[in-house]
Amino acid sequence: MQSFFKQVVLSVSALFGLLAFGAMSAGAVTATQTSSVSAYFGELIGIITGDWQKYGGLFTYLQGNEYFMYVFLGIITIIPVIFALHLAIVGAKHFDHGGNQILFFPLFARIIHFIAAASFSALTITGLLIVTGHFFGGGPFIRLARYIHIFAAITATPAVLCMLIIWFKDMLPALCDIKWIFILGGYLSKKKVPIPAKKFNAGQKMWYWCAIPGGLLMLATGYIIWGFGAQLDYVRIAVMVHNVLGMIIVAFFLTHCYMSIFAIAGSLESMKTGYKPEEEVHILHSLHKYKPSDIKPAKHH
Amino acid sequence: MARLKFLCDVNRCIDCSGCVVACKEGHHVPVGVNRRRVITLDQGKPGEKSISVSCMHCADAPCMAVCPVDAIYQREDGVVLVNKKTCIGCGYCFMACPFGAPQFPKGAVFGARGAMDKCTFCAGGPEETFSEEEKHLYGQNRIAEGKPPLCAGMCATKALLAGDADIVADVYRERVFQRGSGANAWGWEKAYNEK
Repeated sequence: MQSFFKQVVLSVSALFGLLAFGAMSAGAVTATQTSSVSAYFGELIGIITGDWQKYGGLFTYLQGNEYFMYVFLGIITIIPVIFALHLAIVGAKHFDHGGNQILFFPLFARIIHFIAAASFSALTITGLLIVTGHFFGGGPFIRLARYIHIFAAITATPAVLCMLIIWFKDMLPALCDIKWIFILGGYLSKKKVPIPAKKFNAGQKMWYWCAIPGGLLMLATGYIIWGFGAQLDYVRIAVMVHNVLGMIIVAFFLTHCYMSIFAIAGSLESMKTGYKPEEEVHILHSLHKYKPSDIKPAKHH
Repeated sequence: MARLKFLCDVNRCIDCSGCVVACKEGHHVPVGVNRRRVITLDQGKPGEKSISVSCMHCADAPCMAVCPVDAIYQREDGVVLVNKKTCIGCGYCFMACPFGAPQFPKGAVFGARGAMDKCTFCAGGPEETFSEEEKHLYGQNRIAEGKPPLCAGMCATKALLAGDADIVADVYRERVFQRGSGANAWGWEKAYNEK
């Protein structure tokens, strides 16, 4: 009986000793003295490759199966189709542009918006070209797209930072945003009923919070990808975040383009002059309180 | 068809970095780009070992899978090569590679990376064999000349083996058997359950 007990104690302590040894060698960056050659190589490969399975494997799985590309292609196909149907069935909103004009965007905001618009367009187009690079055979054309992508990121940075500051207060969520979301901003009908929204509606706010803080995250991850400016695992995380966030931003970007070019007639003009027609403000931004000095009286012919 | 492979015998490698120098000099690899490097483990301690690492010419190469412009391809003999004229320098291959093999020279535009450069197994590139262009872009094509890769060819202790995977495995297995005794012998653990 006693000898049996002794054996149990011995084997239990040996087990603990082995576990402790294993834990030590797992934490250390140096190789441990292993007895067999195959065990040594097993350990060696872990030291050389690190924990590749974790993020390296995930990135290889996602990019290697072209999942990123398929989702991007899906987004740039489905969203325009939905908007084409919307344009055909519901149609654009038209407002009286002959009445009073109300100042929405001062000169500074317009300049910033123009820089951001040009940069975002360039980033979206060149980014999609890089993602779908093998359709174009790579080479100088896609390399040029990469250079433009980097240049546009440089011009976008100050614009995004300025937009973060100038529109921050107006973009904070409000109660009327919930109502706006429930009626989808009134875009499903052509009736002109006042829509609950202040200076910016819930849709614009969604775009802002996705494109501005999201854009800053895109710039940060893009910077890491550009210069491999982090540990390899963080670069792998950065490139996955850059792709996934890119999908969301491209989806909202297309929506923003549709709204400004097609859905509300004359809204491109508002972004150039800074003024929106009074009727449009009273309907689409019914809760917006503007100063009397913001009103530009109608021209009388 | 032979399957080409590298194997570094860690019991023979003496960390002389001759392979690194031979590769860099022989192919005129630009500054900042290393197609091969030597990693030393437990430096200065008993049991110190070194291993020479470069592109492993993987069977299912992750770099090939992730390349967005399909610039990386695999020859029939298993050698993984890059077409520098197609490569856009995005760096995805580096992120996918477990061994850090893909290397990038600094480009001229906005500090963006140039085309990827990595070990070619001394098999040149997609350009015409022995052409000036091939030599300029990828270095020597020693495989086409019937010679082993520079690194393995010049390895003083013959730690680094390169060639047909079956022959390399045979050479290594024979070595292990010959020097194997005590704790290094195959099956020692199983037979005696001690270290």
